[in-house]
Amino acid sequence: MIEDTCLEMDFPLATAGDIAVNNLESARQQSWSRFWQEPERPGIAEYIVEQEQLAAQFLGDMGALDRLETLVNELARVDRESARTALIHAQVAAMTHRFAEAKVHLGQAGVRGVFPDAANRLSLSIDQACGTRLQAVLEARRRTAAWPGRLEDLVPLGALLADLGEFDEADRIYQRALSEYQQVSPFAVAWVCFQLGVLWGELVPETQSSRAAQWYRKAIEYLPCYVKARVHLAEIYAHDGRTGDAEAVLLPALASGDPEVYWRLADVMVATERFADAEGQMQAARSGFEVLLGKHLLAFADHGAEFYLGSGNNAVKAFELARINVANRPTLRAFEQAYATAVNVGESNLASEILAKAGRRWGATAAFQLSPLASVALMTSKLMPDRSTVLQLTSHDPPNHGEVTS
Amino acid sequence: MSDHVDGPRQIGDPAADLSDVFAFTSPENAGRTVLAANVFPSAGASAMFSNAINHSLVVRRVTVAGLGDAARFKTGDQEYRFNCRFSVLERGSGGANPIQRGTCTFPDGQKLDFVVNDEKGASTPDGVFRVFAGLRSDPFFLAWFPAVLKKAPNLLLHDNVLSIVIEFDTRRGLDSDKGSLFGVIAETSPVPRPAGPIGHEPPRFDWVGRPEQTNMRLNNPAMAGTDDLRDLWNQQTPFAIAEEYQPVFRQRLIDSLTNWDMRDDHADWTPATLAASANVYLDDFLLFDVSKPMSDTSFLEIEKSTLHGDAYQTGGGRTVNANVIDIMITWMVNNDREFLQGGATDATKPGGNSFPYLASPNSQLQTLVESVDLSAQPDQVWALIGPFDETWHPLIARIRVTGTGVGQLRTIETIDGKFIIERLEAIDDSQRFYRYAGISGIQASDYTGTLDVKPKGTGSSVQWRVQYLADGQPDFIVKTIVSTLLKTGLASLQARFGAQK
Repeated sequence: MIEDTCLEMDFPLATAGDIAVNNLESARQQSWSRFWQEPERPGIAEYIVEQEQLAAQFLGDMGALDRLETLVNELARVDRESARTALIHAQVAAMTHRFAEAKVHLGQAGVRGVFPDAANRLSLSIDQACGTRLQAVLEARRRTAAWPGRLEDLVPLGALLADLGEFDEADRIYQRALSEYQQVSPFAVAWVCFQLGVLWGELVPETQSSRAAQWYRKAIEYLPCYVKARVHLAEIYAHDGRTGDAEAVLLPALASGDPEVYWRLADVMVATERFADAEGQMQAARSGFEVLLGKHLLAFADHGAEFYLGSGNNAVKAFELARINVANRPTLRAFEQAYATAVNVGESNLASEILAKAGRRWGATAAFQLSPLASVALMTSKLMPDRSTVLQLTSHDPPNHGEVTS
Repeated sequence: MSDHVDGPRQIGDPAADLSDVFAFTSPENAGRTVLAANVFPSAGASAMFSNAINHSLVVRRVTVAGLGDAARFKTGDQEYRFNCRFSVLERGSGGANPIQRGTCTFPDGQKLDFVVNDEKGASTPDGVFRVFAGLRSDPFFLAWFPAVLKKAPNLLLHDNVLSIVIEFDTRRGLDSDKGSLFGVIAETSPVPRPAGPIGHEPPRFDWVGRPEQTNMRLNNPAMAGTDDLRDLWNQQTPFAIAEEYQPVFRQRLIDSLTNWDMRDDHADWTPATLAASANVYLDDFLLFDVSKPMSDTSFLEIEKSTLHGDAYQTGGGRTVNANVIDIMITWMVNNDREFLQGGATDATKPGGNSFPYLASPNSQLQTLVESVDLSAQPDQVWALIGPFDETWHPLIARIRVTGTGVGQLRTIETIDGKFIIERLEAIDDSQRFYRYAGISGIQASDYTGTLDVKPKGTGSSVQWRVQYLADGQPDFIVKTIVSTLLKTGLASLQARFGAQK
């Protein structure tokens, strides 16, 4: 594998994170004000979708998803039959992992004459997120990334390659995204750094936590309020026994209200034997997840399953959520989670069934060979279909090669 | 905001997005010139400049190099460059808003520090230069739907921008004794780093000369199916468009100007004059002559006269209150045969005669939206709430109406004896909506309300939306009053018609 070059490279200059966040928030509010003056005005709803997506992705502002629901409801009221309403509806549905609904709206957008580029872009994202038609997605991503090679094209390609097990190429693509970036948005740069953290901290078979931590720190340096980066960095610190550092990284993210922050903070408090404080944080995490799952079940099913499988301490619920997730987006990671949660609740038959399905869907891929499921399948080889069967089964659908990391 | 979001590269950071450049004689002192540039279209109330961007106003001396169909404006090599950079935010003391500082470097090498949003600005010790930077009301107004050339209300109503205003002694700042005609552009570029650029760092993010070069001429919204040249244009070096791309841009300008000419189905331009205009537009900088008068109507006069083969009479330029869109559209569509007035005659707030000339920022419109889903059919609900004089609201004791139709006033007496006066602004019974403006009774300005009924499922959905600027009272008081009004009214409809299952 290629060497870590994080510290050696010259990083892009970007607007200070606090200025960018301040400007995002002020512009977002202004956009809403304009939207309510004239909801049908071209461009404004699309701009709000971008802004709310940034707020959710980087600031951990889950209220953004509720606001986007308000947006699509209003568009459905005032501009029900338009192509743009259908496309925006599809975007928002995809953002909250309601992929089946997104495809329906995307189809409507196509019938109503939406620009093919916009529809294709979303269609690729949906396929990548669901782990379907990945060969076609990969080819399309490579084509787009070849020219003009914008950061917003390179990062999804890197994510796809990472999920296909092509880690070194994914790393190169991410680093290319950084070196060729020609703007000054810290959101963009922090996003790439975060992806590199995930790549080396979670996706490679032998994770490199210090390398991942370096990237997460860089992401936070660009964007101090980057909640997900703080959570992931805190996990590494906590795992290494650096509970003080983990807590210091998490505390500034508490204001976001993201339940994952409460959860990780509770874990740190348990590790430092502050059980009463930990209980308070865990309550906040639990109620936070409940609210999110109540409103956006599919969007948070995988995160919820992870929580309940861990400190959330509800294995049955974890399994239930993992099954919902894998049914919605049958990616390799979703299968891994569903299998683990099934085993955890003693559902051995269902676990075998999940393993078999994973094998049928993913068995022919390189990514599957790197998955923990592969070794389980080897041990229970009777569950593993032979290669010819796999090829036969996948021949109706382009081969699948992994999932995108959202 | 004439050049906003005009290419994919602009989507990175809105604070890099240049919208307009201005050049005019100071209304306070005829011996001084004002240059201004705006970034961050539709900036929010707390917007700040990027600390990673260098903001420049660049001036070159210009000579008229040809008249009539051979009209050309030749620029000199010497640049007068005004650069502004901004700091990271400093925490305000005692919970105050954060502070941002800036530094402007002038053509003579002097540097001047200033504080963002300080209305007084800052001046160099010798008094030659004065600078303001901060949030202002956007002076640009666009009151057309350009693709179909249909009048519209000002599409930038209540918008703000981040402005940089530089005023200077004309003779000392531009050596105007050596020639009085100039071209100015504004550009945003990366702040240079000591280590030098990495990868392919762009020489600039955005630049702007005359208004709407990109969004209306190069990317004419009425010309479907053409390649978007805006990104390529933004990568060009101002005052020096690459030779290899000039034919592409020239042809696009000719095609676009031809399209504009035929928007009224009448050819007012000959092919030769269109081609000559395209050449003039290809040299994209805002022309101004400091020896002649610049006014709200002198915009483009230098170009027009030169194309007509005449000596220009005014200083051209672009003042804060110039109606540049209507001037430009009129010229492009009918060659000044008949003035085309858009749907608005001025910006949200007109500029003033004292520094920094651009008006103070607009307050952000507050929005309250409430809705209710009912089991009744839309027409049934509208029959109750659609009449402007109908007393269906439980908090309203009686309504007295003056006049009829749009413009009529209703005086509402609430059950606790207060009076609210509202004017009907628009009504459409077929679409089941009306819009009204608040006249008095609620301490808010720019108060508008919209009530509509739409079909939803097997029943209907009623939405009541109010927007306003709090005026004289803390916002939460107005919000509480209005919110109560909306919620109580809609709850009464639910009680009357039943909620949709």
